[in-house]
Amino acid sequence: MAGDTGTLRRFFRRRRIILFCYVALLPVVALFFYVRIIPIGFSFLLSFYKWNLISPRRPFVGWDNYLGLLEDENFILALKNTSIYSFSTVALSTCIALPLAVFLSRKSRLSAFYQTIYFLPVITPMVPVSIAWKWIYDYNYGILNYGLSLVGLPSVAWLTEPSIALWALVIMGVWKVLGYNMVLFLVGIRNIPAEYLEAASIDGASDWQRFWRITLPLLRPILLYVIVTSTINAFNVFTQVYVMTLGSQSAPGQAVRMLVFDIYTNGFQFFRMGYASAEAVILTLIVLGLTVIQFTLARDKEAKPR
Amino acid sequence: MTQTQIGRRSAMGLAAGAGLAMAAGRKAKAADITLNIWTGYPELVPWYKAMGAEYTKAKGTQINILSTSLREHEQKLAAAVPTGTGPDVFDVGQILGITFIEAGLVKPNPAAVDGLLKSAAYRKSSAEQFTTDGKTYGLPMLFSTPAMFWNKAHFKEAGLDGPPKTFQQKMDYAKKLTKFDATGKMTRSGMSLRLSGQGSGIAEKFRFILEPAGGTLIVPNGKGKFHQGYDNDAGRAALKYYIDAVQIDKVDDPKVQHDAAAFVAGNTSMLMREAWVIGEIKEKAPNLDYGVAPIPAWGSGPHKTLLQHNGLWVNAKSKNIDAAYDFMLFISSKEASVKLTQLSGWVAARADVDWSPLLKDIPQYKEFVSPTDGVQFYPEPVMAAWNEIESRLADRLPGAYIDASLQDPAKLAAFIKAAAAQTDQILKQNDLYGT
Amino acid sequence: MAKQRTLAGIGILACHAILMLGALVMVMPMAWMFVTAFKSAAEIAIWPPVFFPREWTVVNFFGAFETAPFHRFFINSAVIALVSTASVMLTSLIAGTVFAKYQFPGRGLLFGLVLATAIVPFEAYMIPLYIQLVGIDWINTYQGIILPYLFMAFGIFLMRQHVCSSIPTELMEAGRVDGAGEWWILARVIAPLSGNALAAVGIFAFIQGWGIFIWPLLIANDQLLFNMELGLTAFQFAFSADIGKLMAGSVVSVVPMLIVFLLLRRRIIENMALTGIKG
Repeated sequence: MAGDTGTLRRFFRRRRIILFCYVALLPVVALFFYVRIIPIGFSFLLSFYKWNLISPRRPFVGWDNYLGLLEDENFILALKNTSIYSFSTVALSTCIALPLAVFLSRKSRLSAFYQTIYFLPVITPMVPVSIAWKWIYDYNYGILNYGLSLVGLPSVAWLTEPSIALWALVIMGVWKVLGYNMVLFLVGIRNIPAEYLEAASIDGASDWQRFWRITLPLLRPILLYVIVTSTINAFNVFTQVYVMTLGSQSAPGQAVRMLVFDIYTNGFQFFRMGYASAEAVILTLIVLGLTVIQFTLARDKEAKPR
Repeated sequence: MTQTQIGRRSAMGLAAGAGLAMAAGRKAKAADITLNIWTGYPELVPWYKAMGAEYTKAKGTQINILSTSLREHEQKLAAAVPTGTGPDVFDVGQILGITFIEAGLVKPNPAAVDGLLKSAAYRKSSAEQFTTDGKTYGLPMLFSTPAMFWNKAHFKEAGLDGPPKTFQQKMDYAKKLTKFDATGKMTRSGMSLRLSGQGSGIAEKFRFILEPAGGTLIVPNGKGKFHQGYDNDAGRAALKYYIDAVQIDKVDDPKVQHDAAAFVAGNTSMLMREAWVIGEIKEKAPNLDYGVAPIPAWGSGPHKTLLQHNGLWVNAKSKNIDAAYDFMLFISSKEASVKLTQLSGWVAARADVDWSPLLKDIPQYKEFVSPTDGVQFYPEPVMAAWNEIESRLADRLPGAYIDASLQDPAKLAAFIKAAAAQTDQILKQNDLYGT
Repeated sequence: MAKQRTLAGIGILACHAILMLGALVMVMPMAWMFVTAFKSAAEIAIWPPVFFPREWTVVNFFGAFETAPFHRFFINSAVIALVSTASVMLTSLIAGTVFAKYQFPGRGLLFGLVLATAIVPFEAYMIPLYIQLVGIDWINTYQGIILPYLFMAFGIFLMRQHVCSSIPTELMEAGRVDGAGEWWILARVIAPLSGNALAAVGIFAFIQGWGIFIWPLLIANDQLLFNMELGLTAFQFAFSADIGKLMAGSVVSVVPMLIVFLLLRRRIIENMALTGIKG
């Protein structure tokens, strides 16, 4: 009898808990469906239509938008530029942040100061920051070229020179995320038990060896997190491009054409909503694919030493 | 008799009273109305505000102005007008205007507006541009043509006594006007061309030279279809002109300051631009000594300049459509047109305005308000795909201007051919292609 | 040994030199923005540039506030960011906890959906969203501007990671044995133990809420609803830009974030760093 009431109670409790889950999640999920799933689903459907946003006519075109993209040199260029931008930004910001973090992990009175300063760009909003950088890159009055002239280097047309403009954006991108990555690595390094490193020192390992053999492997989860989140962010780069191509004294559109900017141009300047939606679907698939690949690679590596 | 007289008088009195009451009623109703006006031209805001205040005083209707810069403005209109969340009246170029007309979001003009547009108040060419399938839509607001600004002080210094008449002469003059510092860095461009950035404006400026040279971006076939019109001598010559200016004669450089800002600052000697630059100069460099001449001709050809109209449109989904048209007429009066030009620098589209007080004040307006005889206008094709046609060409041009390999005529020809093929391709995609 | 120590000393000194140089690079854009905002138009356009203005002027700030009601934009930014932050923290706490500690049908699918849709660029689906909001008459309203920012997939993810790794299930069980309901457990057990993670989520939400641009651009039809970022476009015309006013506006937009950051820097940095650890 007692056992029976126990199972019964447990049964009711489980029911109650599941009910709680749904009730608790309901507002969030409802909101989530309303502002994400439905519009994204609609956007996905649109990718099979031709629609100029204004006209009531909306003919179904099947895969035409996707096929058109394959031949669209702007899309291919945007894909190429976005890839270069993302891989460079992620690689540079990781490779610079890591040694900085290692150095800062030593006890130093200045450590907090550096963290604060390097973290500043992370918290500043994108629009004013892009405006400031555009002014820094200005060929005629920019402070960057002035700095170069002080050390005897010739001025560089940071924005108007097509082969440089993309790298100007990479520099700004690295500047924006460097502090975040650095602080993440720093905390990760500080969380490594001191005994590990001490033991290695006693075994006669050099600083370099300790970094490669202990610090880096133990940092892997954070490294993965940093790389995944910054790749997603980098592929969605938009505001900088929007600001930096505005006006006559700005970057040539082709040099910095990125995917979201191209989506924006097709959707809101040429009013080809269906086409832009197809482009967005492809962008999503690319980022999703990259994320999966990164996770798989990290899992493989983790699996090996064990 | 007296009785009837009294009766008539009292009847008249009654009628007058009723009329007054009705007028008062209407006035009270008008005061409840708020008209929302959206503009893509922030420099027109002072004018809109002044007109709005006058209109409120006269009719009681409240006027609300929203201004965003052009790129954002067009985006907002495209989202808001079809969904019924748009303004009552908006200004926008004809390219977007025609898209709204095709979608039924702008209705044919009511009789009063139609009559005004067809009267002598507007140029025939203006009225034609606002006619679709025999019906008129909207009213022209800005009559926008580029002309050539030239810096008189620079010219005097270089020993030149007047603006160049032809593009060939312009290049020679520019060589004398360009300045470099000791390290060979350009400090002042002889002519300011549009060499960088993104968007249709680059191709539009390319047309400033292409059209006088005898080419055009798209040619109508007379049956409602079009094909490219620049894979020819004119197209190649126009591109070569740009390449010469940047690479051979070095009279302009993508790196130096450009456009109105450069002209205002005295960092370029010649600039092809619209009337609003006068407003900029008045505000930022009132002592600048400059003249405005027609766009040069190509050799012995005619002077040609682009004609763009920015229109005023009433949203078909407006809840106060009568008041909206009334306001549109109010701000299209002669007096309002003069004020528009005074306050913004842009030239109003009405043709029957007496510009002499303005010209006495600022003679440089002459070329914009009454262009030199013999200057031909080439219009902006009114089609939805136009922005894409210009923008896609614009994507290619900045790279070409600095590409040294295009000094080879064969490569240059191949470049033009590829760009023109893309223009045809866009026309085909929009079912507008025909030879 | 002594020689080695001096060598190490030089190495550390060199590291500091590099870090200092880096710090200079980090603050330079903001510093340049600040000093430019205080320069007259004539001083902005001189070469070689002078870092500090010869004559400090606030004319750009007055100009900016005259051109547009920036005080209103400022309040709007603050309201949008604060409401969004509060809501994101609440929804992240609830959803993160449920995804972390409860088993129910559809859990994996739902969580996967939340994460997967987070990588779709907003620009790609804002038009359908706009059309939906037309249906409920929310265009040109505060609630319409804020709606898409009431929850954040990343916040839910962070909270789930935190609750998974830092809050023992036994603690929740103990509550249940004492007869506590699930809401009580959420409010009295999980929330108090999630201060740091919630703070991190809140900071991300605030940064995002303060910086939104393209959505209010589309949906706000009345200048009174503009936020700071949108107000800045008032100085960016297609043809000409007024650098001085632009920089002044940018300064006004950046300063509140800077003040908040400098006051709470230790907490912000530590909390945001924690977000990565739970992975």
